[in-house]
Amino acid sequence: MTETRNHPAPARPSVGLAFGSLLRADFTAALRSRQTLILNILVPILYLVILGINDAKKQFAAPGLLIGLGISFGLMAAGMLGYSLLVASDRAAGVFQRLRVTPTATWLIMGSRITVQLASALLMSVVTIIIGSIVFHVGFAWTQVLGMLGVSILGSIMFLCIGQAVVALLKSQGAVNAVGRLLYIVLLLTGILGSTGILGETLQSIARWTPVGALTELYAVVFGAAWSGDATAAIIAVPAYAIVLGFVGIRFFRWDPR
Amino acid sequence: MSVLQVDGLVVRYGGRTAVDGLSFAIDSGEIFGLLGPNGAGKTSTLSVIEGLQPPTAGTVLVDGEDVTHAPLAAKSKLGVQLQSSSFQAELTIEQLTRLYAGLYGLRLDRDGIRDRLERMGLDGERAQPFKKLSGGQQQRFSLLVSTLPHPVLMLLDEPTQGLDPQSRRQLWTEIEALRGEGGSILLTTHSMEEAQAVCDRIAIIDHGRLLATGTPAGIVAEYREDPRVRRLAHGEPTLEDVFIGLTGSAIRD
Repeated sequence: MTETRNHPAPARPSVGLAFGSLLRADFTAALRSRQTLILNILVPILYLVILGINDAKKQFAAPGLLIGLGISFGLMAAGMLGYSLLVASDRAAGVFQRLRVTPTATWLIMGSRITVQLASALLMSVVTIIIGSIVFHVGFAWTQVLGMLGVSILGSIMFLCIGQAVVALLKSQGAVNAVGRLLYIVLLLTGILGSTGILGETLQSIARWTPVGALTELYAVVFGAAWSGDATAAIIAVPAYAIVLGFVGIRFFRWDPR
Repeated sequence: MSVLQVDGLVVRYGGRTAVDGLSFAIDSGEIFGLLGPNGAGKTSTLSVIEGLQPPTAGTVLVDGEDVTHAPLAAKSKLGVQLQSSSFQAELTIEQLTRLYAGLYGLRLDRDGIRDRLERMGLDGERAQPFKKLSGGQQQRFSLLVSTLPHPVLMLLDEPTQGLDPQSRRQLWTEIEALRGEGGSILLTTHSMEEAQAVCDRIAIIDHGRLLATGTPAGIVAEYREDPRVRRLAHGEPTLEDVFIGLTGSAIRD
């Protein structure tokens, strides 16, 4: 048996180098993923273009609110569907197991992915604001744009927490996909139809408390709507969803699909 | 000092005990084989050493670092090749090499990365994602990632499974080179021939318990007169005869 060691014992890597390496890889992967691109950018743009083509819809609500609603749908698609599916498929393929046997803290692995999601949410919000301004022929003050981006970050965190809870509570990739889509449709419909009052006052009240309803309310405030009881409820509801579902998502998450 | 010290390791999943008081140690520069039928507790044992599974009881020290209390320090001394794992599908193996180098604390420039890939015969595939590589190339790339930090201890979970003889031989040449640099290796395998050929010492385990440990030749000599082994042997007992004699001939899933 050889008793000598020809190389020094490996040193612990720095947090900065590890996080930088993860960020670079996750950004590259996000840029190469067609699914991410479609979910993050195309969903809100498609929504705004459809509304723009149909002039009657312009009377339906203020342009700023419609743009906010469009961003909400984009955040929902990226956070609830894109993020949860990506995590579920990487978990099923063993990508997380491979990362976890390196001397990297697990919070860095997830932190990098969440940072990439937040950055792409901000990019999507900026693109949606620009496209929305063109479609609806409106301009916004810088304070409104900054407010909109702030609400987008808050909304993105909330939908990522919902996505994290889904992927934590369901082990199979297929189940995450199915439940994510179902949730998306339910929240989309309550967001669009519920908030209009078409489905009655009861559903309208419920819709205000849903993630999409609460977020839309915050966008409305950014665009000059008077502060109301609904706005107070929304500013409580959005962080509350994030905290509760984020806790569930972290507490019950399993890195291993088995 | 041993590079790996496993003492009284117990792993339970609910009511099922996968590892039941296992103890063994690996010295510097040693190739140690962990043998056992399916469900014997090999992968559970490796999972604890890798830091993927907390032990129910017992201690595991990697070069003096406790995997439970100082998991990142212990992991920084390990190179791991998992039985089934994958890499991000969107990244090329060049990008993956940069990523994993960073995770092990190495700053590799493009030349450094290409040099590593070239040494594994993968330079021509550097723009390919992991999934597009052949089985042998995938194993070599996994080995490249595992050896990036010059680990004190390599953990190889069935490293040659599914490889053709040429790829297997090449992989063992790489592993021997690593040992030549002073690294130790813990491997699991179902191939008795491989264990006999490459391992300095082996441990046979079943139902999470240690049944025998020693050099392959020493174990064969120790059990050659055991009636369970004699019943199976056609002529001189082999390591496979001893293995089946000790663990039984019932098929495991």
